[in-house]
Amino acid sequence: MIDLRLKIDPLPIVEPLVIRLRNEPQNYQTEHDAVLVDTEGTRLEYDYNGFSFGLHRQDDENFDGDVILALPGQRIAHRLIRSKSPHNTFLVTEQCDQLCVMCSQPPKKHHADLFSQFAVAASLAPLNATIGISGGEPLLHKERLFSMVETVASTRPDIRFHILSNGQHFVTEDIARLVAMGTERILWGIPIYAADRLTHDRIVGKDGAFQNLQRGLGILIKAGSSIELRTVVMQQNKDRLSDLANFLFTRLSCIDVWAIMQMERIGYGRMNWATSFHDSSTDFTQIAKAIDMSAARGISIALYNFPLCSVPPQYREFALSTISDWKQKYLDICERCGSRAACGGFFEWYSHKEGFAGLGAL
Amino acid sequence: MKKRLFLIPSLIAAGFLPSKAGAIVPGDFVTAKNGQPSVLERLKLKHIFSLAGHRSHSSHRSHSSHRSSSSGGYSYRNYSPPTYTAPSTPSYTPPAPTYTAPAPVYTPPAAPVAPVVTPPAAAALAAPLKTLPGNTDKFRRIAMQVQSALTAYGYYTGLIDGKVGPSCKTALTAMQTDYRLKVTGTITPEVLDTFGIVAN
Repeated sequence: MIDLRLKIDPLPIVEPLVIRLRNEPQNYQTEHDAVLVDTEGTRLEYDYNGFSFGLHRQDDENFDGDVILALPGQRIAHRLIRSKSPHNTFLVTEQCDQLCVMCSQPPKKHHADLFSQFAVAASLAPLNATIGISGGEPLLHKERLFSMVETVASTRPDIRFHILSNGQHFVTEDIARLVAMGTERILWGIPIYAADRLTHDRIVGKDGAFQNLQRGLGILIKAGSSIELRTVVMQQNKDRLSDLANFLFTRLSCIDVWAIMQMERIGYGRMNWATSFHDSSTDFTQIAKAIDMSAARGISIALYNFPLCSVPPQYREFALSTISDWKQKYLDICERCGSRAACGGFFEWYSHKEGFAGLGAL
Repeated sequence: MKKRLFLIPSLIAAGFLPSKAGAIVPGDFVTAKNGQPSVLERLKLKHIFSLAGHRSHSSHRSHSSHRSSSSGGYSYRNYSPPTYTAPSTPSYTPPAPTYTAPAPVYTPPAAPVAPVVTPPAAAALAAPLKTLPGNTDKFRRIAMQVQSALTAYGYYTGLIDGKVGPSCKTALTAMQTDYRLKVTGTITPEVLDTFGIVAN
């Protein structure tokens, strides 16, 4: 696991500060850049606009090009962007209007608005970066979120976003703006758990969610947005996957990809693990059927967060290595596996005792 | 995962396009490129993400990440006691600010290097997002206090402008050497302590 927090010497700041760390002075130096001037053991000293800024590292980590967020009075800085990683995600809010049974990031009431800082951070990202936006529900702060995307788009047209949203908060008036922001700039990751209202609403813990979702998806489709539908497969919905496959084909066939996902054992996901986790390594039938139906009909389909050995051989091509590097781990059985490079492994918080029963090195 | 869509010309003529005609788009009636995409362009849905994601298994970064952060957010409600401070009393009130824009500390090296793939500089935020003057102001005030002290002790003869430029760095280096501090040429907590400047 990679710690996304760094120990720093506190800075004399009065509001959150975004800093990009550089090992050498660059041709394109911005006011946000801090340049490494000295290394003393585990302490790195940076020159930030003439001020000393100390940062403490664990291993021989190289922070060149990384973007961090320092908060007033805190000795911890958050690593917003790791320049070598494809898994950079901003957690823009912890508020949410759904309570999903498998939620890995249970909502909180308080919201700290850091969109201005996120806009700066995104504009300091490496060339052609894709930045994830997660929550909570990011669209609870739609105006700020859209402003941030527009700001970044105007200065850094190469940056793309992958925004995870429950799809509950789009209105017709958003269409023009969605089009203007660029349908290729944003990939919307939207969860749908079943084709029937009752099952979906029960899983997300909100009455009327399914209906709102259909309206939201309609708006995204009208705007020509890129859509990734995400379905976490659980005991609650595994037997309804083929219904959902039919529904997607007849109603939502213009999506870009349908992702069937495994659960993450943290947050509510951990709390509800015993009643929700579906061991797809011992029973893959429903998932196989959904894949067969969708693939035959030209719907792009993918498996996220499935260890390769949990998937029958003929379906392994659909299983992508999707677990973010910083929360990824491998088990002892992976030591002698020949497919490790192609496999996403396990979440850091995966517990093998309660996990997949049918695994083995490939 | 490989998707092949076979278009039959008569079907196209009759108006039947496959739901995702990503590979073959008939003719130029969808290519009006004046800002807003046409309806057909929108429905064409040739999105980079899906194409990139399914090209190979080695780089599907676009829809790769689970993106649930599970990391606990960036809460900063609790202000713990600041420690970048110096012990004694503030000795100097800075004059009225005359500062305009934050200056880059490093001038680019003179020798032209081959253009590396470096992202463009971050531009100022557009209007809808609030700007963040607070920290800039704070750093400038401290820098001005340091410049004043360096002037008083005879190390610095430049402008008290709150910008740590080359001559200010030289002055800091000399002062740090004389006072047997760690020589960095930057404003360190030690420098602030020595001059009795309170940073927070």
